Amino acid sequence: MIEEKDIREDEIRVIGGDDDSGKKPKGWKWLLLLLAGLVVGLVVWQLWPETPQPLPPDPTEPGVFDPLPGTVAPSTVKQPLAKAEETGHGFVEMADTTINDIPMTLYIPHQMCYSLSVGAIDRNDPSILFAAQAADVRADNGGIVGAFVLEGEPLAWGGSKTGFCAIIPDTVTGIQTVTVGVAENSPYFEEATEKRGYFFRQFALVDNGQLVDNEIKGKSIRRAICDRGGEILIVGTLTTESFHDFSQALIDLGVDNAIYLVGSNSYGWATDAEGQRHPFGNPEPPKKKWKNISYLVMKDKP
Amino acid sequence: MLKKYLIISTATDLVRIAPEKIVFISSDGNYCNLMQADNESRLLTFQLGQIESMIRDQLGTEGNLFIRIGRGLIINRNYIYYINVQSQKLILSDNNRFSHTVSASREALKQLKDLVEKEVKE
Repeated sequence: MIEEKDIREDEIRVIGGDDDSGKKPKGWKWLLLLLAGLVVGLVVWQLWPETPQPLPPDPTEPGVFDPLPGTVAPSTVKQPLAKAEETGHGFVEMADTTINDIPMTLYIPHQMCYSLSVGAIDRNDPSILFAAQAADVRADNGGIVGAFVLEGEPLAWGGSKTGFCAIIPDTVTGIQTVTVGVAENSPYFEEATEKRGYFFRQFALVDNGQLVDNEIKGKSIRRAICDRGGEILIVGTLTTESFHDFSQALIDLGVDNAIYLVGSNSYGWATDAEGQRHPFGNPEPPKKKWKNISYLVMKDKP
Repeated sequence: MLKKYLIISTATDLVRIAPEKIVFISSDGNYCNLMQADNESRLLTFQLGQIESMIRDQLGTEGNLFIRIGRGLIINRNYIYYINVQSQKLILSDNNRFSHTVSASREALKQLKDLVEKEVKE
């Protein structure tokens, strides 16, 4: 099936055309001009000398191709891309890729129900198919950094971070809308409280395809939850990276919006289509028990 | 003239729906969710671009009832009720039985707002 041509996140288009937007030529004059152009094109094409075909590459020629910064290496898929209708349950598709020399793993959830949890996570709970630490915890008083809503209940109101992730269920259908964005004041916070949804804040990394610079320096294993063309995915680096380089790599990956998830050695896991759990981070339980440690949790859609 | 329906068929099932009964279609990974005017939703095992092609091919110019917004959304323009560019909020409603809030980029919503305003002027 022929798929529609690509569209950017900041574009709209009327399907079927003839949208009265004035962008398309109208009237018989335009039609005549179009037809005349076609005829001229055909004549030129017929009379044009045949273009010589490019020669096949000489195997003895030394490679001169130098990858440019920003190029994306082809993904290597860790597992067969099973479809949700084949598996009949939620799972995380995982793919390794390298962008700007940064090796990273993409985690693409399928058929998942999103939520947040607060407190130590039950690592033996088989219903949790994906888990990753979400909001930061304050070192001084153990509070959650940034506004936070847990199933409609606001637990924190701080606005120190501009990135947000909102999980809002439709009150009628229960279908969730997961939004990753950047805003100092987001109406999603209120909406999450009204609709028993979830909301947390983190460092903004990418805002509508633009890099968001963060003052925090240093390198670490980075993770992010991203919106790429309406698809939610989680990205984790396999090497220590700066915020800036990580954000740029996400942009080169085609991400529209991204916010940080707790990186470094924070523990989490993703479950593939065969039910195999793939952990990341340090499996050793943290020495300090933070009661407000929070997780982005995904379970099978009910 | 026969009424046009959108028919979405796979190897195992088929959905036949009148265009005006579609409120919006949103991308869900490699699949789509079709939200109907009767508040039912249906998972479609197609990508949004494929659904857009079906609308264009099957409905022709009548397909202009639908607007693709960014990569993640197709909406029925008849149900546009509220647009807030700043908060990236779009409410699709018939002001009676349903109201759905969806989100899109600010630029896309600005373009949508302009398009709706233009309709009024013409």
